[in-house]
Amino acid sequence: MSAFNRVLAHHTEPVDPKLVDWLRHKIDDLLGVDSVVMVAALGAVIVLFPVVLLTLVWIQRRRGSRYS
Amino acid sequence: MNEGRQKTGPFYGWYVVAALFFSTFIVIGVRQGFGVFVESWEKDFGVTTTAVSVAAAIGWIVNGVSQPLFGALTDRLGARRVLIAGMLLMGIGTILVAASTSPLMLAVTYGFVVSFASGALSFTPAGALLSRWFVRRRGSAMSVLTVGGSVSGMIMIPFLAYFLLNASWQTVWLTIGVMMLVLGLPVLIVIVRSSPEDMNLLPDGDTESFEDGAGGRTARSTAAGPLTTNRWQQSFRSAPMWQLSAAYWVCGVTTASISVHFVRWASSEGISPGTAALAFGLLSGINAMGVLTVGSISDRMQRKNLLGMVYLVRGLAFVSLIVLPGGVALWAFAIIGGMSWLATVPLTTSLAADVYGVKKLGTLAGLINMAHQLGGGAAVIVFGRVFDRFGSYDLAFAGGAVFLLMAGITALSIREKRYSARFAPVSGPTVQAATVPVAAAGADGD
Repeated sequence: MSAFNRVLAHHTEPVDPKLVDWLRHKIDDLLGVDSVVMVAALGAVIVLFPVVLLTLVWIQRRRGSRYS
Repeated sequence: MNEGRQKTGPFYGWYVVAALFFSTFIVIGVRQGFGVFVESWEKDFGVTTTAVSVAAAIGWIVNGVSQPLFGALTDRLGARRVLIAGMLLMGIGTILVAASTSPLMLAVTYGFVVSFASGALSFTPAGALLSRWFVRRRGSAMSVLTVGGSVSGMIMIPFLAYFLLNASWQTVWLTIGVMMLVLGLPVLIVIVRSSPEDMNLLPDGDTESFEDGAGGRTARSTAAGPLTTNRWQQSFRSAPMWQLSAAYWVCGVTTASISVHFVRWASSEGISPGTAALAFGLLSGINAMGVLTVGSISDRMQRKNLLGMVYLVRGLAFVSLIVLPGGVALWAFAIIGGMSWLATVPLTTSLAADVYGVKKLGTLAGLINMAHQLGGGAAVIVFGRVFDRFGSYDLAFAGGAVFLLMAGITALSIREKRYSARFAPVSGPTVQAATVPVAAAGADGD
């Protein structure tokens, strides 16, 4: 395998596929949940962050306009 | 406490930090996530790993070279435009990856388009932008941004890996591309502004301006140091630019080499890849805490002292790989190295901003980052050659330790109190300013 694909997690280099696979199995052993549930849970975290952030900014701007 | 700030909640700059945290999170996830798909591409394209790796190799080079370019564009057009254009292009590029039908197409879509666009979303424009929003808490803000990359590894990579179990790689890339366009792009457009002045605010949420050294009035952030410049070329006539770049080059050398060769070293010591991965995971977790701690402390003391310490601590981690037995060295490196792993990023960018000002920071940060990438690329090859020649990494690790010792001394020798605007004399606050609430400030950016 090329050295470029062995790069782990510093800055923006690709992760090693074998290590990702190992990590996935470890998570499976630890949590024992279906992979679909993991996708949904992690996906929800990813989607909720910007949604919550945009909502907070919207609330702050509304408050700001009320006091201006 | 200022009444206006009480009414309108936290300083708006922290929302900008959160928005950039998310863009860093998603972009680094896509970049690191490449490795998750290698086996799928091998099967679908009917090629070897090496053929697929060409796209990653091209991507690494393109990303490194793009940094000064986007840095210069940041200085010329404002970071907001660069970030938005980058997210748009990267979203499209990510969708195009889903349409790849050959390694050549993958090299074009990922290696060129995605990797080039990710340069526009890197620490270069984001760091330059945050330097305008924060002065007193610059290190803290930068460290939160940096942690976005660490958190991405903990959430995005498992997400991609599990997603790939339930869908084709095309569907995964298409979904990520759509997420970038539907979530990432609006976050940048709605929240991010190139500077607090765009919203009639002052850096750090200050409500008072100060007299500058020239008899005028200014926000604390614009108080000029002796090396504050409007021409990036001038920075190379002073020591701090060379000191920061040289030290950051060593950062690239030592992190890229370990990233690539850590597992191979572990194997040579009889340690399983799984244990090595666990140690590296521990390193990542410690590093996230380390970055936040170092960033926060750096706002209260000279940054160069912390930067020097970070390099010296990492040097100690390299020494541990040589002198300790394999199994012990693995965990010693994870703990000691973890404290220093990404901590150089917020410190270096913050210090560059403190010394040279924010006017040309994009270009300067881009050049410093390029030194990091070039050092990393060269080190990966050299470390590999050393192992092939001697059957051991000891000589390479010793070289890394010596480089880190030199980087530590170099960083400590930066005359921060003399050159940094943080230590430039300013008179007391006199003028009330920037109490305009967020909404009243308008939503226009650049």
